[in-house]
Amino acid sequence: MNAAEGSGDVFEIKQLRRLIELMKKHDLSEVDLEQGDARVRIRRGGAAAQPFVLPAQPAAGVPAEPAAPAAKPPADSQHTVITSPMVGTFYRASGPEASPFVKVGDRIDPESTVCIIEAMKVFNEIPAGVAGQVVAVLVENGAAVEFGQPLVKVDPGA
Amino acid sequence: MLKRILVANRGEIALRVIRACRELGIETVAICSEADRDADYLRLADEAICVGPARASESYLRIDRVISAAEIGNVQAIHPGYGFLSENAHFAEVCRSCDIGFIGPTPEAMAQLGDKNSARKLAREAEVPCVPGSDGLLSTEAEAVETAKRIGFPVLLKATAGGGGKGMRVAANDLALKAAFQQAAAEAEAAFGNPGIYLERYVERPRHVEVQIIGDTHGNVVHLWERDCSTQRRHQKLIEESPSPRLAEETRRAMCEAAVRLAKTAGYHSAGTVEFIVDPDGNFYFIEVNSRIQVEHPVTEMVTGIDLVKAQIRVASGEPLPFSQDDILARGHAIECRINAEDPAQGFRPCPGRIERMTAPGGFGVRFDSHVSAGSTVPPYYDSLIGKLIVHQPTRREAIETMQRALKELRVEGVQTTVPIHLEILSNTAFHESQIDTTFVERVLLG
Repeated sequence: MNAAEGSGDVFEIKQLRRLIELMKKHDLSEVDLEQGDARVRIRRGGAAAQPFVLPAQPAAGVPAEPAAPAAKPPADSQHTVITSPMVGTFYRASGPEASPFVKVGDRIDPESTVCIIEAMKVFNEIPAGVAGQVVAVLVENGAAVEFGQPLVKVDPGA
Repeated sequence: MLKRILVANRGEIALRVIRACRELGIETVAICSEADRDADYLRLADEAICVGPARASESYLRIDRVISAAEIGNVQAIHPGYGFLSENAHFAEVCRSCDIGFIGPTPEAMAQLGDKNSARKLAREAEVPCVPGSDGLLSTEAEAVETAKRIGFPVLLKATAGGGGKGMRVAANDLALKAAFQQAAAEAEAAFGNPGIYLERYVERPRHVEVQIIGDTHGNVVHLWERDCSTQRRHQKLIEESPSPRLAEETRRAMCEAAVRLAKTAGYHSAGTVEFIVDPDGNFYFIEVNSRIQVEHPVTEMVTGIDLVKAQIRVASGEPLPFSQDDILARGHAIECRINAEDPAQGFRPCPGRIERMTAPGGFGVRFDSHVSAGSTVPPYYDSLIGKLIVHQPTRREAIETMQRALKELRVEGVQTTVPIHLEILSNTAFHESQIDTTFVERVLLG
């Protein structure tokens, strides 16, 4: 990393801080800048950044995976989205007659079960991983879900 | 005929399977990791299901997620491609118990042939010549030394659970052997979870010649001739070709027939490859079986005119092979160059990144199997293969000329590729004169 030479250098701490402030102010999620041989890429928020280091050594910089389920930072900045930690079939309740685990408006905490995902005949209760108020349930009962698919939107501030 | 298949792989082989399915009118469900979500070939599948984060161990290798994807994708069978779960007998067993077809051999055949030591036993039973070696696994250092003295130095210590060129050590005398023995067992345990090692005579300057076979579930097994894969670096194949140059016709026939005998003895069906080494005197010895479709299968497809992936799918659908041994003729000469995103000038360092520009070669006798194009990202999490360039011409000389032309036409900007090393090999006199063995690249070119 080059020693700071003044306002032109992308790696200068003041510049990086300004960049981050600008990103927050304008709600940008990713900035990628190149200057000669130097390159800086900043991605805001939550789930561990994909390391895209050039030139890359595949052994280095493998991101720490978030523990399931991933509470990812949101496309809209107020809400958190609970995503699926597995592949399977989504169920809102523990049985056809039972009431749903959560509905819009419910207050939940990290240990609250938000849904069941059935995989290979095993019914897995999925914990919220976040506290807050349920804003939306994004999947239909009985629908197939893939890894990382958004399941429930939560307002963590509420 | 199967109607809906899960493609449990990524990259060029996933694309290869999807293409075959599209022609057969079979619906495909592709899987992907988060790193492959934007891969272009996924749009050619009927459905794509994300099975995990980038790391293979958390996605492509997750048996539970692959099976779940097969279930929610409502498929009848899974094509495992090569690598990943393709030679995992446990996975094949799980498929069977979940009533999902596995496009490959039975778990039993796979397990028996996957263990190098039991494969050798089977080979001896089928009267297939093996490299002189230990009669089973070695339990002590003393046993190793005694065996080595009997068969003659130099010897090669090999891990029974190894593969892909890993887990092997050469010893030139009994002192070296004693030193290597304990280490080899420890390494085997660490790398493969199985400390079993055995010993073979070390054949100096061998050629690597493998035979493609395919069997159906009605007891028919045929061979589709051989491929020569001697052009390797650190046991990784760079260039493959068919027919094997400078192989005596009787040797060729004997090897191909031996491969079929072995497959029948093992109760093998689907596509597979029987690997041999050929010593400088022209003797051939069985090494191992790869119980999957291989990277270099297009070489065989070009000389025989047979679509191997479609054949696998037909076999998995319960159909008998649509050809007999007499129908399988080899015409002309085919060569394949593996195009990897690696920098040959920097020790073949992998070069993941974004492909900014790309031009694929074409023309008479040129086939380019690649899943990438301009704008594609080559992720750092998987192997570095970005494409296979295959040529087919009436003679070897013409095939070399066409390959040189095609390599120069191929343009990839944004990542380094192994094109320069291929050009160097193809302009080398020893290569032109077919004076190749598995030490050639490292001896002659990399010094």
